[in-house]
Amino acid sequence: MDHYNQTPRRKAEFITPPNTLKAKVGSGGLSEGILNKAQELLENNTVDFMPLGEMYLNTLMKGIDKAKNAHPDEDQEHLITSMLYPAMQLKANGGMFHYPLVTKIADRLIQYLEVIESSDIEALEIALAFHTTIRAVILGRITGDGGRHGAELIDALDDACVRYFERHPGPVKG
Amino acid sequence: MLDLAKSILATFGVGTVHTAKNGEDGFKKFCDLNPDIVIADWMMKPMDGISLTRRIRNDAASPNHFIPVILMTGFSEKRRVIQARDAGVTEFLVKPFNARDLYRRISQVIERPRQFVRSEDFFGPDRRRIRTTAYHGPQRRDTDNQRPDNGPPRIDFVSSAPHKKLEDTVQHIAKNKDYD
Repeated sequence: MDHYNQTPRRKAEFITPPNTLKAKVGSGGLSEGILNKAQELLENNTVDFMPLGEMYLNTLMKGIDKAKNAHPDEDQEHLITSMLYPAMQLKANGGMFHYPLVTKIADRLIQYLEVIESSDIEALEIALAFHTTIRAVILGRITGDGGRHGAELIDALDDACVRYFERHPGPVKG
Repeated sequence: MLDLAKSILATFGVGTVHTAKNGEDGFKKFCDLNPDIVIADWMMKPMDGISLTRRIRNDAASPNHFIPVILMTGFSEKRRVIQARDAGVTEFLVKPFNARDLYRRISQVIERPRQFVRSEDFFGPDRRRIRTTAYHGPQRRDTDNQRPDNGPPRIDFVSSAPHKKLEDTVQHIAKNKDYD
């Protein structure tokens, strides 16, 4: 018997809800003019990211300190999440409020935090380096991508992560 | 962010936008106002966007279990997308986003709404989106929309639209990954 083309064994009910929303909005989409206007609104927002950024950086630092002072038996997932969530906020909001370099750096930090197994001191030093770099970008009001210097900062942080993972190889799969 | 999103929605011509500061407040307003779409942020306290979505889908007090939920978040890692999907999120919007990204998500939930699935351990939009045939031509048979197991019709089994939706999501995430 083929493993495919069988009757599903789990009981599942499929429901097609009435599309009342479609009935309300009718047909036709938004014009390019409206989309451009909305994009302009987004790009020209005058929100000052600095207080928000500093708030997330403080939360990130608290997360780093918490992990640094944690008991060895403490749940690693919980400790890493304490750093991951503010990193996510920095990534999400940096680019929304004219700090794309913050988004790029925080994205690297997230990718790093999503992978590490434990918040050992070496791992935390790298998280701290990310924190210091993002702080410098925000306090230096480096809007935009930071040019060549921005790229160098990211390369340096990437290298630090690569070196960490070389020293801490994960379990071999297969 | 809340004000910015509200302004963009107003530019899109959305008539009324109600806002809430967190998931708890959001659920209360959702129950009171029964809106057409919910756009939530993942990170909120005391109730985050994932918990809010679960309540919308499963709480007996929810006035519309089928409402489209668009979740905005900085996360783009696969496991986070799966986490959101399993909570019953309809569309995933990675921040930072542009106006077109938001428009596309809204357009998807209106133009290509997903079926809902109720199983023993899940209630929410159909999570299977990749299943599609290579055939993109006209469908002439009565059985075109039927599943081979004679189950209820499942539009995405034969339509390329969900595939496009997935492509769109993947491109959107890739764009955020390649923000350089």
